[in-house]
Amino acid sequence: MIRLHDYVLSASCYKVRLMAALLGVRLDLEAVDFHPGRAHKSLAFRQLNPAGTLPVMVVDDLVLTESTAMLVYLARLAGPEWLGPGTPQASAQVQQWLAFSGRLAASLGLARLHDMLLYTGDIEALRRDGHLALRELESALTECRFAGHDWLVGTAPTIADIACFPNVALSQDGGVTLDPYPAIRLWSRRVRSLDRFVEMPGIHRLHELRPAPAEA
Amino acid sequence: MTTRWIATGLSHDLPNGAVMAGQWQATELAVWRSATGKLAAWKDRCPHRGMRLSHGFVRGETLSCIYHGWVYGTDGGCKHIPAHPALTPPAAICAEGFACVEANGVLWLAPVGMAEDPPRLVDLRPVRTLSLTCDLATILGVEPALGGSDIIRGSVRIGGQDEEICLLVQPRPNGITFHALCSARADVVQVSRWLEALRRSAEEKVAA
Amino acid sequence: MITPQVLNEWYPVAMASQIRAGQRRETQLLGIPVTVKMSDGAVAVHGESDSFPVMERFGHVWTCLGSPAHDLFAVPEADQPGRRLVDVGVVRVKCSPLRAVENFLDIAHFPFVHTDILGAEPHTEVNRYEVQIREGSDEVWATKVTFYQPQAAKSAEGGIVTQYMYRVPAPTVSVLYKTCPVMPDAWDVIGIFVQPLTEELCDVWPWMALFDDVTPEAELIAFQQMIFLQDRSILENQIPRLLPLDPGMEIPTQADLSSIAYRRWLKKRGLTYGAQMVAA
Ligand SMILES: N[C@H](CCC(=O)N[C@@H](CS)C(=O)NCC(=O)O)C(=O)O
Ligand code: FES
Ligand SMILES: [Fe+2]
Repeated sequence: MIRLHDYVLSASCYKVRLMAALLGVRLDLEAVDFHPGRAHKSLAFRQLNPAGTLPVMVVDDLVLTESTAMLVYLARLAGPEWLGPGTPQASAQVQQWLAFSGRLAASLGLARLHDMLLYTGDIEALRRDGHLALRELESALTECRFAGHDWLVGTAPTIADIACFPNVALSQDGGVTLDPYPAIRLWSRRVRSLDRFVEMPGIHRLHELRPAPAEA
Repeated sequence: MTTRWIATGLSHDLPNGAVMAGQWQATELAVWRSATGKLAAWKDRCPHRGMRLSHGFVRGETLSCIYHGWVYGTDGGCKHIPAHPALTPPAAICAEGFACVEANGVLWLAPVGMAEDPPRLVDLRPVRTLSLTCDLATILGVEPALGGSDIIRGSVRIGGQDEEICLLVQPRPNGITFHALCSARADVVQVSRWLEALRRSAEEKVAA
Repeated sequence: MITPQVLNEWYPVAMASQIRAGQRRETQLLGIPVTVKMSDGAVAVHGESDSFPVMERFGHVWTCLGSPAHDLFAVPEADQPGRRLVDVGVVRVKCSPLRAVENFLDIAHFPFVHTDILGAEPHTEVNRYEVQIREGSDEVWATKVTFYQPQAAKSAEGGIVTQYMYRVPAPTVSVLYKTCPVMPDAWDVIGIFVQPLTEELCDVWPWMALFDDVTPEAELIAFQQMIFLQDRSILENQIPRLLPLDPGMEIPTQADLSSIAYRRWLKKRGLTYGAQMVAA
C-alpha cells in the first residue's frame, strides 16, 4: 500500500496524484490540514517529515519527502517508460527538468500561495522569477516543436512533463498569465488530454474530450 | 510599414478545436478554431455573466463558456443554454464579433468591416511568438504605430548568413509581443535563438 | 461605492480561533486598514485611531466600521446539538465581494466547474425554484432548489438529487442548506463569509455546520476548499470585476432568479460596495 500525506490545493501533492492516476496506481490518501490548520508543522507531523512539507509518501519502511523522488518511485514501479528513453543524455535531461520543477515551485508556486492563501513574500520578485522560468520552458518546448516532438524529453511523456505541469498550469492562481507562452499552452493541453488525466482545483476539465450530451 | 490589423498569433499555435486569448488594441478577445478549422474572434466576455470565453471549450463547430456551458456557434449566436435544455435561445444573445483572418500562417484581428486586407507577407514562414517587457522604441529604435501592428522587415546576420526576418509587433499592456517569420531557407532554430538574444540585450538595455 | 448602509453592516475579518491563539491579523475592510488581535483578554478590532465593535459568531470575528444598523444575522443551526462546526480558512480572491456571493447562489455552473462532484452533464437542467425577500429579517431566500449531484458531500456515496435552500442574510454573506447525505431529514449548512478588502478584492471564509461525525476534519476542509478553489478561477476571470447592477449588462435566465433578486436587493438598499451602477 502506498500512503500519500496529501493536501488538495498543493501543486507538489498534485504532481504525485496525477502521476499515480496516469499509471493507474492506487494511492491511499491521508488529508493533512495544511490550511488553515498548519498541521504539516505540528510536532507529530515533523516526526514523519522534519522539513514540515507536503507531500510525504510512505511505503512500508520507505519515507519520501520530495515529490520528484515519488514520481521516480511510481514510474519504476508501474510504468518505466515514464522515466524516458534511458540514454545517458535523456536520463540527464529528465533529472534537469525534475530540478527545474523545484524552481517553478519556488517562484510560481509561492506566488500562488501568496495570492491565494496569504503567504508572505515579495510577490513582484516571485512573479518575475516565474516568468523567467516560463521563458526557459517556452524556449525548450519551441525547440521541441522544431524537432517534431511534443514532450520535454524524447517522443513520449515522461515524469519530466508531470513534474513541471502543476505549477505551470496553476500559474494564473498567482497572477502570472500564460498568454505570452503559446508553446506552453499547447503542451499543457496535451498533458490535460492524456488518458486517465485527473485535474485539481484551478485546472478545468477539458470538457471537449467528451461529446456534447445530445450527441452522446 | 504598418497595418490597422493586429497580428495576434501564429496559425500553428491555434490548432483545430482550440481557443486562446487575443487582443485588438486594448480589447481582449477570445480567438478560436472549430473542429473543421473555422476561425472566429469575439470579445472575451460571455454575455451571460461576463466570464472570459477564452477559458471555454470547443466541441465541433461551437465554443462553450466554461462557467455555465452556454454554447455559441461560429457566427457568435447562442445555440444552447444547458440550464434550460428545451429553450431555443433568443437571437439577441450573441457574442460580440471581430474579424479574424489567417494569411501566411499569421492570425490577424480587426474590428468587423475593416476595408483593407491584412498585409501579404510573401516568401516568409512563421517561426515563433515571443514576448518582451520593453517597448518597441527601446528595442529597435522604432516609434510604435498607432492602432495597428508594426511590420519590421530586414536582413540580419545569423550563423554566418544573411537571413530575411520579419517581426509583426503586437502591443501589450506591459511590453510587446513579436510574431516572427523568416525566409523559407533559414534555419528556424537559429532564428529562434537569435530572437532570444535580441530580447535579452534589449531588456538589458532597459534595465541599465 | 461606500454608502452609510455599507458602513453600517457587519463583516467578517478573522477566524476567531486563530486570534484567540495569539495571532494578530493586519488586514483591510472596505479599503480601510484594520488590525484584529487579542487585547486585555478579548478580541479587538481597531483601525489607525479608532476601535470598532466586535462580534464573535460562527467561528469568526465580525466588525462594523459605522454604527451597526442591526444585530448580526442568526444561524440557529449553529447551536443545534450534534452538528460539527468547521472553519475552512481564508482564501483570497481578486473579484468583487458581491460576485463571490452571487456565484455561491448559482447552481447552473455545477456540471462545468465542479464536474463529477456537484454536477455532471447531461444533468444540467435547472428546475424552477422560488425566490422571495423575507419580511422581518429582510433576507433574500431561494427555496425548492433541486439539482442532480454525483458526489454531493464528502459523506455522499454515489449520485443523488440534492435539495437546496439559499439565503443572503447580509450583503457579503450567503448560507445554504442542502440535503445531508447521511441524515435525509436534516440539512447540512454551508456558508461563505466574504470580507470586502476593496471593491475588487476579497478574503473569503467558508464555514460549515454538518451532521457527519465520521469524516476526519482535514478531509471536510479539503472537500470544501476543493470546491471553492474551483470557483476561484471563475471569479477571477469575470469581466468586469465589479458586479453590474444595471440590467442590460448581463443576460439572466430563469435559472438566475436568485441572482436577479440579490442584485435588486443590493440596489434598493444602497449596498453598492463592489457593484457597478452604470454600464461602462
Ligand atoms: N519537498 C518538496 C516540498 C514541496 C512543497 O514546497 N510543498 C509545500 C506545499 S505545496 C509545503 O509543504 N510547504 C510548507 C513549507 O514549505 O513550509 C516536494 O516534495 O516537492
Ligand atoms: S458566464 Fe458564460 S455561460 Fe454563464
Ligand atoms: Fe461553485
